[in-house]
Amino acid sequence: MKNVDFYDVRVVDATTTSIIIDNGNVEEISVNYTRGGGIRALCGGSWGFTSADGYFNEKKALNAASELAISMHSRNPKEKVELAPVEKPVLKDLPSVKIDPRDISIEEKVELLKEMNKRAKLDGISSTSTAYSEAEVKICYTNIDGIDCEYELIRSGFVVSAVASENGIYQAGRESKFGVKGYEIFDENDALELAANAANEALQLIHAKPAKGGNMPVILDQELAGVFVHEAVGHASEADLVLEGSSILDKMIGKQIASPLITIVDDPTLHEYGYFPFDDEGTQSQRTTIIKDGILSSYLHSRETSAKLGGDPGHSRCQGYSMPIVRMSNTYLDNGNSTFDEMLEEIGEGMYLIGSRGGQVNTGEGIFQFNAEKAYLIENGEITTLMRDVSLSGKTLEILNNVTHVGNDLKMNSGRCGKGGQLVPVSDGSPHICISKAVVGGT
Amino acid sequence: MYDISRKALSAALRAGADEAEVYMVKSEVTSIDIRKGLIEGSKENINQGMGIRAVVNGAVGFASTNVVMKMEEAARTAVSSARIRGRDPAWRSFPTDGKYPEIKGTFDPHIKDMELDECIELSTNMLEGASSLPDVLVTAGSFSRVASRRLILNSNGIEVEDKGTAISGFVDVITGQEEPTTAYEYDMSRKMDIDFFNLGKAASELASMSRQGISIEPHRTEVVLHPFAVTDLLTGIFSFAIDADNVQKGRSSLIGRTGEMIASEKLSIIDDGLLEGGIETAMADDEGVPSQTTPIIEKGIFKSYLYDNYTAGKEGINSTGNASRQSYSSPPSVGIRNFIIGYEKSNVIEDTDKGIYINTVIGAHTANYISGDFSVEARNAFTIEKGTLARPIKSLMLSGNVFDILRNINGAGKDRRQVGGTVTPSLRIADMSVVG
Repeated sequence: MKNVDFYDVRVVDATTTSIIIDNGNVEEISVNYTRGGGIRALCGGSWGFTSADGYFNEKKALNAASELAISMHSRNPKEKVELAPVEKPVLKDLPSVKIDPRDISIEEKVELLKEMNKRAKLDGISSTSTAYSEAEVKICYTNIDGIDCEYELIRSGFVVSAVASENGIYQAGRESKFGVKGYEIFDENDALELAANAANEALQLIHAKPAKGGNMPVILDQELAGVFVHEAVGHASEADLVLEGSSILDKMIGKQIASPLITIVDDPTLHEYGYFPFDDEGTQSQRTTIIKDGILSSYLHSRETSAKLGGDPGHSRCQGYSMPIVRMSNTYLDNGNSTFDEMLEEIGEGMYLIGSRGGQVNTGEGIFQFNAEKAYLIENGEITTLMRDVSLSGKTLEILNNVTHVGNDLKMNSGRCGKGGQLVPVSDGSPHICISKAVVGGT
Repeated sequence: MYDISRKALSAALRAGADEAEVYMVKSEVTSIDIRKGLIEGSKENINQGMGIRAVVNGAVGFASTNVVMKMEEAARTAVSSARIRGRDPAWRSFPTDGKYPEIKGTFDPHIKDMELDECIELSTNMLEGASSLPDVLVTAGSFSRVASRRLILNSNGIEVEDKGTAISGFVDVITGQEEPTTAYEYDMSRKMDIDFFNLGKAASELASMSRQGISIEPHRTEVVLHPFAVTDLLTGIFSFAIDADNVQKGRSSLIGRTGEMIASEKLSIIDDGLLEGGIETAMADDEGVPSQTTPIIEKGIFKSYLYDNYTAGKEGINSTGNASRQSYSSPPSVGIRNFIIGYEKSNVIEDTDKGIYINTVIGAHTANYISGDFSVEARNAFTIEKGTLARPIKSLMLSGNVFDILRNINGAGKDRRQVGGTVTPSLRIADMSVVG
């Protein structure tokens, strides 16, 4: 090999099947078989990267990546990049799949999805859709230090959505479950009941009142609080963002940045959607405590950021054959000991925000905005009127400090997280939390 | 490419397909990554892949692969998927008789043959532009150049190849220690006409101008949206509403409203697959239908939804050339081409006595795509006082409804620009709700 300081090669084999049922009809059955690889080479402080589809010539691709790194280095020499040392990973405790989705015929999958569609097609529902996807992925990793390891993983899941319409008003309800699981994911989560839930949610929202905005105390349900934990805290703890000056958590390690009730963890070893046995640079996965009792204790690291800032590597991930970057896995706010009733009593007057339609965060300035699926007014410590089009915005650190209660009912949700144009499977979660003051937006 | 595509097509037909279609893409991408003011590394991606649709007894199956030796097998998988699906009575056929228009400005040999040296030089120009102002740090950025080929063949005789190039630059900057402010600038073009130094400088100027923002009280006011903000807010939600598939499935609030006045009478919007140098310009759409120009809103009146071959077949009309694929691995669905927003030009800021100017928004994807209601965080916003940008605003929530915006547009700037496939000037909207 040419004069490079480091190289590694990832080869990914994947078969994915997806089925979409729309208003009871099969809209799409598609099977995708892919193979390809991504090759990194490091020379001094410069990275070269190549990717190729299919059965490519690994030697040639490695040479091309090395040449990129070497020529970048000779034109533009920079401070040498060090990589934290890692041991060869040990595969243990891989998720076991109860029903291999490959053993179930496509016909049977289509029937189940059609049945879900039927359950969602309640009176007042104008359209329904269900989608299923399964992926069988094999990842092989080798590097210059002789690490040579591989694993296979099955991921599957479904999403069901229903749209209700009345007098020109449209509202959507949605339920989804994804995991490192096989076909058992349908039974374990009672997919048929979730389909009806999605429809009921849409029907309820039709009659919900548009929310009035303002500053008020709020309770967040597990899903919305989980999104806050992932988006506002998790991303800000990614060491590459810290290093580039895009995180409010820069230079905050060891400092009290949140209420002492808050402990936030990222754990890729959990058998949730963000699971992996080793990350995309061959580092054994392990649990990282980001915030312990309100004190920032660690960022999330790749080997490169770990060598620069200290802390353990193991959070370098990529989509397909892209260049790995620092990512989350299964991120959650750990259980406290408050009950939901205690929170209601504490708040008196405020709002209970439920679910998430997504959101965005500026990690550099520490501000965020999320849209809830719905909300209830809280009056005299009681849940009253249903509201829609409600958003939550504010400053991450203020919210973390304004948390007055953390519940004991942690729940995880799965999704795909985008960063740098790459999507990777993740999960996030939280118990109910109570916040003394937050900006609620309406219309 | 032709050889393997023809083999896959005949493999599908031999396996029993009544009709078959092969979509194949090949691309070469060179990109440069910038982190914390430095060029971090470079990437070369060589991509190729094929998507195959097969029709058996009026049902369509799809399979795809990026492995050349699996392409014929994928064709057979598409046929077996089609057999599982029931007959779709709405299916007519794949497109036929492609007579393709001439297009201009989509291929620049300079970009195709660009060497790594020049890529680095252009990235360096962008960094120097961003660093030409004091106290500004480039947090992240990227440069890329793409040369691609796309071949579409079907068993009805369609055979069309498009070649294209594109170049783009993106830079994200931060300034200020205590109360940091950020800004970004982005540009993409089919030919080598981007001034990368100025691109970097524009981001830094915006971040610097945004420092020491003030708080404002909630109120209703005129809002001028920069082309970035227009694209973030309008393109996604409005294109969802005019997608014939959403209309046919009851998911659009524009159902049954063609011929109605839905926007300011000075507003026109066209979907154009033929725009010279347009990001979405090609001879054909993603299933081989010749590209065309489709009026969507003419002087405020809603003229047409957008169709691919399938949704058009359902209504017995012709496709508008709006089949679109995210990649070779997904079957086509309806998508916009170059989305061109037109409105009478004026000095839109100078003519505004009191209002708010917004560069970009975050959270537009959280909007309700059916009702059009949104509530987003505005970034790099300024108060407008007596025709000038007066003070930066620290934090601002903008709420409203996209369909109301169409009716309430009352001015446009002279700064028309291409933001991806959207081509738009700044737009001024009356009576928007802002919360500081």
